Amino acid sequence: MADLNSRLARREFLKLAGAVGATAGMSAFLAACSTTGATAAPPTAAPSLAAGATPGASAAPTPGPKGTFNWLTWGDHWYQAEMDQIAATYGIKANITSFSDDIDAYTKVQQVGGQVDLVSEDALWVPYFYQHQLIDAFDINSLKVASQLYSVAREFSIWTSPAGYLGYPNGWAPIQITYDPAHVTAGADSWQLLLDPKYKKRVVVEDQPVEVMAYMGKAAGVKDPYNMTDAEVAQAKALLVQLKPNILRLAPQATDTVAALKNGEAWIATINLGADTAVMDQGGPQLTTFTPKEGSIGWMDAEMLVHGGANNNLLMPFLEVHEQAEYVAANFMINRRPLFSEAAYKLLINQGQQELADHLLFNKPETVNSMTLKGPGTSTQAAIAAFNDVFGS
Amino acid sequence: MARGSSPLETMPVSRFARQTRWSLIALTGAMLAFLYLPIAFLILFSFEDAATPGLPITGLTLHWYQVLASDSAIQGALLTSIEVAVVVTIIASIVGTMVAFPLVRGGIRGAGILRLLFTLPIMIPGFLIGIGLLIFFRQGLHPLVNVQLGLYTVVAGHLVFTIPFVVLIVASRLQGFDRRLEWAAADLGAGPWRTLRHIVLPLIAPAILAGALLCVTLSIDEFVITFFLIGPQQTLPLYIYTQIKFGVTPEVNAIATVILLVSLSTVALGSLLLTSGRRLRRRPR
Amino acid sequence: MTVESPVGAPAAPTAGSSSGLLQRFGRALPALPGLAVLVFLFLVPMAIMFVFSFWKTNNDFVAVPDWNLGNYARFFVEGTYLRTFIKTLIMAALVTVTTLAIGLPFAYFLVRYTGKLTQRVILLAVIVPFWTSYLVRVYAWQAILGEHGALNQILQAVGLIKVPLDIFNYDDPGVFVVLTYIYFPFALLALYAALEKFDFTQLNAAQDLGARPDQAFRHILLPQIRAGIITACIFVFIPILGEFLTPTLVGGAQSSLIANLVLNFLRNDQFAEGAALAIIIAAFVTVIMIVFRKSFRVEDVVTSG
Repeated sequence: MADLNSRLARREFLKLAGAVGATAGMSAFLAACSTTGATAAPPTAAPSLAAGATPGASAAPTPGPKGTFNWLTWGDHWYQAEMDQIAATYGIKANITSFSDDIDAYTKVQQVGGQVDLVSEDALWVPYFYQHQLIDAFDINSLKVASQLYSVAREFSIWTSPAGYLGYPNGWAPIQITYDPAHVTAGADSWQLLLDPKYKKRVVVEDQPVEVMAYMGKAAGVKDPYNMTDAEVAQAKALLVQLKPNILRLAPQATDTVAALKNGEAWIATINLGADTAVMDQGGPQLTTFTPKEGSIGWMDAEMLVHGGANNNLLMPFLEVHEQAEYVAANFMINRRPLFSEAAYKLLINQGQQELADHLLFNKPETVNSMTLKGPGTSTQAAIAAFNDVFGS
Repeated sequence: MARGSSPLETMPVSRFARQTRWSLIALTGAMLAFLYLPIAFLILFSFEDAATPGLPITGLTLHWYQVLASDSAIQGALLTSIEVAVVVTIIASIVGTMVAFPLVRGGIRGAGILRLLFTLPIMIPGFLIGIGLLIFFRQGLHPLVNVQLGLYTVVAGHLVFTIPFVVLIVASRLQGFDRRLEWAAADLGAGPWRTLRHIVLPLIAPAILAGALLCVTLSIDEFVITFFLIGPQQTLPLYIYTQIKFGVTPEVNAIATVILLVSLSTVALGSLLLTSGRRLRRRPR
Repeated sequence: MTVESPVGAPAAPTAGSSSGLLQRFGRALPALPGLAVLVFLFLVPMAIMFVFSFWKTNNDFVAVPDWNLGNYARFFVEGTYLRTFIKTLIMAALVTVTTLAIGLPFAYFLVRYTGKLTQRVILLAVIVPFWTSYLVRVYAWQAILGEHGALNQILQAVGLIKVPLDIFNYDDPGVFVVLTYIYFPFALLALYAALEKFDFTQLNAAQDLGARPDQAFRHILLPQIRAGIITACIFVFIPILGEFLTPTLVGGAQSSLIANLVLNFLRNDQFAEGAALAIIIAAFVTVIMIVFRKSFRVEDVVTSG
């Protein structure tokens, strides 16, 4: 009996030790390989900087603060090659955490406060953060790189406050509808396309109750889909009931939408501007995209300085570099949605990418003024209740 | 139970013995195939040429393993997962074992209720535990203590559902424990501490280790609770989920395959050492 | 024997060593850290959620003490929550029955027809997929079940179907298949643990006394492994009540389970409203656990693996 138990003990112990040792060994192996490996960014998109011609830098090793700061952002605000270069040249490293939705970032910054230094956020959430004293305003014109922005981007009223500008503008996109013309009658221009009974189980929308209800609100002619009255919510809900049988799936993330369009399981989807090019890049069908005539939701995001961030002395130097045209243009090529940098647009023309840039409305930043902007609203609860009512059993 | 000898020899043979045997084999085989079907695809896709995993396969490549080897973000996430798992396992094993003793031997009147209370965290939906703790840390404790979300809060969250497992496993082992061994030790002059260290703990060690192994497994793959309680860090399941948002590439399959291989080889190693140990012991002195 | 038992030591074996309050406290001391975790990291947060469930969330995403029963009423009055809950119960029951129906013969086969080594190997084979990420495994099922997924491609290539199957295409049957896949190992381990302990010579004795094999099975085997069967049921049924990832990843527009509805509130910071719904689920789970507390043997499930 003792023999059996001690044998069992030894086996269990070996298993545990082996598991820990093997994983540790594997990690060490992988870590050792990392010094010789390639980076994750597609080679065509990295800015072709000649040796020493780092944007905005002087010839001598750069002075200025060095260190690491914490950045809470979406994955399309940066790319690895850029981060590595900035770290190598300026000694400023970003410790990046991703989040999925505006409200996630809000909750997180509310909870951790100064643990995060820089946070990205959409449109009307920016002043919301400011109202709740989560971010600091700053003088945007104190940044030299800000002169590279389209002037409209420096003057958004919703991002202006007496104390300064509330965020450094990054990019924007309207929600659009995309469809596969091989299966869908061409010429559609309205939200009603999603509701057409011909397309049963061929539509993909995001798994975001408030947003989907906002789309239906727009389709019903509601002016402010984030602050709907009960009557408006009911209108939107009625359209949602029509939409339900057409939905293939409620996509948890944007890549699920892209994948469904790519392999032909879905023919129609709501997407951020530019996602159609991602589908085609991956070998999917050629898609047609339009902004619905009833008006669409859109977002425009900015980098905000978190109040009390422990490393906020690094943020201005970082932005001076990160927002340079070369990096912005490269980011556009990777992520395919318009950004607010006018200098980057000119650079893209020089690189022969004008057609793509124009297709993606890069040179029309004033479009944001016609979008209904994303933001926190008063009909959140009612919208969720309606959504649950439709998508429950 | 008949060990080694076929039960067909000891039981009167029913008319359907042969059919029963074969249909059972077929069922087992089919179920195992079913269990490994997605695993097979998982591994297959990790070698796939295309940018998104899926059929049809256009070509095979080791590219994703190379990407994996140089991706410091995913390695960082893996290391964080392991760190958290190790800390959780050590604390849960010790704390859980310590609870088991009074639970079984303490003569507490409410032992049954206590047992039930310890079972609840395992069964209550994970998201409720995650959100409950989130609110507790942020709003409940806030006036007193400013709790920052981070790996500590993640560890706390994992402890909630791992400690009960250890408690229940060790308690079960303790219940069947032959106390005469302890009395014999006492008769031979050993104090309670020595009895504990040299008699009781070694004999319940397999149970503690089984609990520990379970803690490691559960903690490394825990997604839901981690999601709500983590700060600006990443664990592996979280990384996979957020990566899948921005571009699911077969690199994710590659790391899953690697983890699978590591676990398999660990088990194989352990079994090999076990059988060689057995062989060594059978050698005549 | 010594009166002061050192912390953590078993009680000294002298009868009548008495229950001085200090001594009893000393015996209970080792449980304190675990109890602290249970109370502060589980019971207190649950209590907070319980309190929140009677409050309301304002437009600033803060729960304010506007005491009301509306959040609970929502569950019973707005039909979607009851209907979805019942659907979840049905899905959980179907998965439980299926895993039992497959798991019992599977475990029986292992215990009766194979040697110890084979049993270990097969059990490991069942558990090892567990060690790959849950998310990646479910994503792999997406690739199998979709319209252009592996299943349809193979069936069409072989000629069994002309048009791709739609029933698994982001729909409830797909959710059912994946849930069965995920929870089968739990059922198997619980049943294996129970069967392993069973003394099969009893069946011999029964047959000697004239019983048919199936009678012996029904009247001797099944009652004795009842605890194992109940453990298997609980280990499969209850977690499914909290499942939301699988419906999101492989389910379609109509596949939402109750947890999905609850999380729609919680993920948008509507904590008060979500808390009530979550507490209802938790209460249901607790009641089941109380009813079956004597039969539930988590420990067996784990140690046999």
